[in-house]
Amino acid sequence: MRRVTRHIKGGCRNKAKIPPGSSNKDSSAELDESLLLTENLTTNLFRIKQFLIDCSDIVYREFLFAQREDIRLVMIYTDGLADKSQLSDQIMRALSLELPLSAPQADITRSGAYHLIKERGVCVHQIKETNRLDEIIEAILSGDTVLLVEGNSTAIINGARGWESRSISEPDTEVIVRGPREAFVENLSTNTAMLRRKLKSHLLKIEALRLGRISKTDVVIIYIKGVANEKLVTEVKRRLRKIDLDGILGSGYIEELIEDNPWSPFPQINHTERPDRMAARLLEGRVGIMVDGTPFALTVPNVFIEYLQAPEDYYERFYFATGVRIIRFAALVLSLTAPSLYVAIITFHQEMLPTPLLLSIAAQRESVPYPAIFEVLFMELSFEILREAGIRLPRQIGQAVSIVGALIIGEAAVRAGLVASATVIVVAITGISSFVFFYSASIAIRMLRFPIMMASAALGLFGLISSIIVLVLHLCSLRSFGIPYLSPVAPISVGDMKDVVLRVPWWAMYNRPRLIGWKNPRRLGPEQKPDFPEVKNRGGAGDA
Amino acid sequence: MNRKIILLMVLILALLFPEGCWSRREINELAIVLGAGLDRTADNKVQLTLQLARPSAFSGGGENAGGEAPRQNNSWVVTGTGDTVLDAENNLALKVSRHIYWSHSIIIVYGESMARGGVRDVSNFFMRNPQPRETSWIFVTEGEAKNVLESHSELEKTSAQSIAFLARNQPGYSIMLEDFQQNLTSPGTNPAAPRIQLLKLGQPQGVGMEERLRHEEVGITGTGIFKDDKLVGWLDMSETRGLLWLHGKVKEGAIIVPSPGQPDKKISLAISRDKIKVNPEYDGETVKFNVNIEFDMELLEQQSNEDLTQPEKIKEIERLAAEEVLEQCNSALAKAQGDYGTDIFGFGEAFHRKYKTEWKKVKGHWNDEFQKARVDIAVEPHLRLTGMLHRRASLKR
Amino acid sequence: MLEDGRISSRQATFLMSTMIIATVVLFVPSITAKYARQDAWLSIIAAILAGLLIARLATTLGLRYPDKSIFEYPEDILGKWPGKLVGLLYVCWFLHLNAEVIREYGSFMVTAFMPETPIIVFILVVVSIAAYATINGLEVFSRANEIFLPLIVGSVIILFILALGQMNFHMLLPMFDAEPEDVLKGAIAPEGWFGEVAVITVLIPYLNKPREAHRVGALAVLTCGGLLLLDAVGIIALFGPNLVEAWLITTLNGARMIIVASFIERLEAVIMIIWVTGGLIKITVFYWAAALGSAQLLKLKDYRPLVVPIGTVLVSLSTLLHPNISDLLQFLTSVWPPYAIIVFEAGLPLLLLTVSLARGIRGARV
Repeated sequence: MRRVTRHIKGGCRNKAKIPPGSSNKDSSAELDESLLLTENLTTNLFRIKQFLIDCSDIVYREFLFAQREDIRLVMIYTDGLADKSQLSDQIMRALSLELPLSAPQADITRSGAYHLIKERGVCVHQIKETNRLDEIIEAILSGDTVLLVEGNSTAIINGARGWESRSISEPDTEVIVRGPREAFVENLSTNTAMLRRKLKSHLLKIEALRLGRISKTDVVIIYIKGVANEKLVTEVKRRLRKIDLDGILGSGYIEELIEDNPWSPFPQINHTERPDRMAARLLEGRVGIMVDGTPFALTVPNVFIEYLQAPEDYYERFYFATGVRIIRFAALVLSLTAPSLYVAIITFHQEMLPTPLLLSIAAQRESVPYPAIFEVLFMELSFEILREAGIRLPRQIGQAVSIVGALIIGEAAVRAGLVASATVIVVAITGISSFVFFYSASIAIRMLRFPIMMASAALGLFGLISSIIVLVLHLCSLRSFGIPYLSPVAPISVGDMKDVVLRVPWWAMYNRPRLIGWKNPRRLGPEQKPDFPEVKNRGGAGDA
Repeated sequence: MNRKIILLMVLILALLFPEGCWSRREINELAIVLGAGLDRTADNKVQLTLQLARPSAFSGGGENAGGEAPRQNNSWVVTGTGDTVLDAENNLALKVSRHIYWSHSIIIVYGESMARGGVRDVSNFFMRNPQPRETSWIFVTEGEAKNVLESHSELEKTSAQSIAFLARNQPGYSIMLEDFQQNLTSPGTNPAAPRIQLLKLGQPQGVGMEERLRHEEVGITGTGIFKDDKLVGWLDMSETRGLLWLHGKVKEGAIIVPSPGQPDKKISLAISRDKIKVNPEYDGETVKFNVNIEFDMELLEQQSNEDLTQPEKIKEIERLAAEEVLEQCNSALAKAQGDYGTDIFGFGEAFHRKYKTEWKKVKGHWNDEFQKARVDIAVEPHLRLTGMLHRRASLKR
Repeated sequence: MLEDGRISSRQATFLMSTMIIATVVLFVPSITAKYARQDAWLSIIAAILAGLLIARLATTLGLRYPDKSIFEYPEDILGKWPGKLVGLLYVCWFLHLNAEVIREYGSFMVTAFMPETPIIVFILVVVSIAAYATINGLEVFSRANEIFLPLIVGSVIILFILALGQMNFHMLLPMFDAEPEDVLKGAIAPEGWFGEVAVITVLIPYLNKPREAHRVGALAVLTCGGLLLLDAVGIIALFGPNLVEAWLITTLNGARMIIVASFIERLEAVIMIIWVTGGLIKITVFYWAAALGSAQLLKLKDYRPLVVPIGTVLVSLSTLLHPNISDLLQFLTSVWPPYAIIVFEAGLPLLLLTVSLARGIRGARV
């Protein structure tokens, strides 16, 4: 790492070998002289400029200390990352103009000047001192402002960050009717603040980490102490520390680097952009990981059932939630098997159709020149293409695409005798069903549909059932941070069935999920079922 | 290791796919059999007649719906002969461009020639082959089964469906392949099957219908009764009612009896919920059956003027109804027991249930034993309901 | 330990139940009805009682050595080489049994659903899936089975309810018509199947709580017995004893009889689901037992390298065993039950238990 300092001409954009700050701190015992500041401001400045050569977005502002004009000060920051109004008001104006008015002292030493600046001059909330060059560089690039004082080998790092960021808006991917409508944004500190607002307990721990050799992305591990299992927290930290990648631009990078079964098509780490959902998961004993720069927070461990639960289930009445969940399960089964079942039945097991239906499908297919499997594949593929186009296209054109798609696929193909109308129905049902449950799981299901279709085209229902069995076996072999992926269905955990297909009312949901929150299982106080006899007896007096 | 296995499986699947699809049959490669008829030819061969669906004529809905599209034939009837049913099917297949597909065949019609000669040999095919359904309806017809299948239906899409729905509604005695077969295997009973015939129906109305003036539809006209697997005779519709009573299978229907006070006028009683108890008695030589039939009736039609709601009138109606039913039963019994000596009522099984050890002696020649048996029938009708009216509504007061 | 997985008592019960139900439901009613006719239910009750005895015997034996499987403790009981021989016999039995099951599996698919497809296709597919499951280990297929078994039991019950309309319970009369020896003869076949519960001797060391093994065995036999009873009664009420005995796979025909509101028809597919999933679990259990047993006999560290070779053996054995389905059925009806019961399900365990008791040796307590 240290030899890198000699390659300072690397340039800021592609300085892959500039010392990574966080990982370097551990080796501070054997620090190189050349990484420390000297008392000479010019030298210091020169060396910093050497590091940040060709980085045109760095601003160096030299000015004079109001108390003693021979003490030069340099303020260094990155353009766009620092809050300029704060800099000019609280640092420059304070040091170069206002300081003498408040503290007139003629014979101030250089080190005295430093203390004066630190203690009284700089009106910034977060400050930090350092004498190390790498920390200074990192601070500058992270948006902090560094103040160098002539004759001092210590720099003051002012935490006056301020950059343009998106304001909090409604979640795009997890829309609900009833419930909070805020979503995470790209800014990590905003996100942790949102979470802290939901869980105002000292037990909510937010541990910071910096990952990515170049990107130096801030990552935090979030958990509730006493609820989350410590072993899980340690394991999450261990897996995160192992990451050695040049840049982490989204939580998806981390997801793939810490999964238990990297080859599985199923995501084993859940993500959400809803703070309420994240808080709910933390309360169940899960551990969250948030990455700066992405509005999607990760939670582990993840079980498959989570994809069939929507945040709204917990805000709406439980009868409704249960009903909707049954529909979601049906949609899952349909989106995985509907086209395969269709292919299997109409090419192998025609006896399973009622006679009138068989005759009507036979009539539709009379003019179709292809085998059923090609027909279904063709339709499924066009549907997937349409869907992809719908996502990638600018929103205004998206409308047009769906109209054209519906027209072409739904009407023209049938009229032209390319596909049977029954096929269109099946593909449409499949397509719509796959939107019902959580997006990242639906991707896996969408992709798996095709091999299952092939199997049913080759072996009929037998192929279909066999491939489902393989799928179930695979799902059973998955674990997410040690928790079986299909729990609580397999292995069965009767108590947890309260939140799988059923969603029992809150006053009956006594325990946290057994495998995840076993450390502190109880989440409900005693006698929470509402029962207010005094109100009943009063008999509507409250209406007045 | 894990990955290797997956790879292996993918390989196997990949091998299977192009090579595979052995059992694959696209729908438009199928000749869907809707009904089958079996006749015995003069030279003792099996003549198989199949009614095949013509899918292109079935396009429901779509742009043709309600349009004046020319009517097409919904089905195509083909015949083949051979030594066995499969042989006949193979010979028949020479004339059909698609695979013959049995799974949707809902009726099997035995022609008289076939039924008289015994159906055991040919019915085996329908049980052994996985495609035909056990729930197909069985019929016998006077004359050739081929003629029946060649007819077509005005109401349903094909005559096969029309015949099957007739059986499903059970106005007569109807039986499925599986029950027929069960009766064949059981020593305590003999099968019976509904008789169907071509009937000349009313003249179709409207333009362009003149050529249909000679249209004939299939209808149920009675029951063919078997002794073991051979057709021995026929029951007419009234005797068929008797058979149904003795089977406890009268699902619906009516009894017409003279009005108690005005014997020249009639009243109609609809039947519901019949129950039959067969109690055999055996003294070592003769078998006696005490049959008790109990059923509920509803007064649905009255031609007479009298007030039928008095209790004694109701008693009288019940007595008349009982007589009527008794007569139907006796006529059926007279034919089956007296003329043909075949137990189509399952009395043998009732006997078996009560006399386990004695049964072993008589089961080999049960039909003879049955011919000697005495059958006492007691009928117990209950008039429970009188319809929506209390008294006649059309009387001048 | 060769197998790291541990399963709960429930999982073990489920596993054994699926294993037995899968095949018993299909073939047994017709085999039993052949002898006991409408009294088949009596035979089945007799078989359940005998099955309970066998389960008890197996668990009693197994619990004397709660940390060892039947491939290992014969060495402790009989000495090194005789013990190894017994272990080897069991491995061979599991292989043979499995090959028979695989053959049944293929025959069933070919007969009932896809007559044009060569049987080897089904055998290959099922053996590959079973190999995949075996490699994933006991825990994984036990877990998968927790999804399959409720499905299977639910399907059987739903089929029964749907078929109720077509049933005629007069067919079960007269009761006690069959001769006692016929009832017993009819009991032999289901007993051969129930006796497969002896495989619990392999499972005991991998139970979370080995002490509950008695209950596991008994519950498994009772579950399967109950379902088989339901099945047999329903089938006889549907078809009468005469037809039941004629049919190859009676339950399948039973499902084909179902007509509900002229809309739900031909529910053979449900039978296929029961058979394909249940059969697969059964094949996997014996596959796993054979692989594990061979590894234990050979003192290997891992059984997984043996999976593919054993699979090859299974595929070839199952294709070579019988020239046709009549031979298979003949074997299953008359040769298999006595052979399995006398030698492996009751005989050898009894011998081992006697010797172990006589010599007063037992394994570590748990």
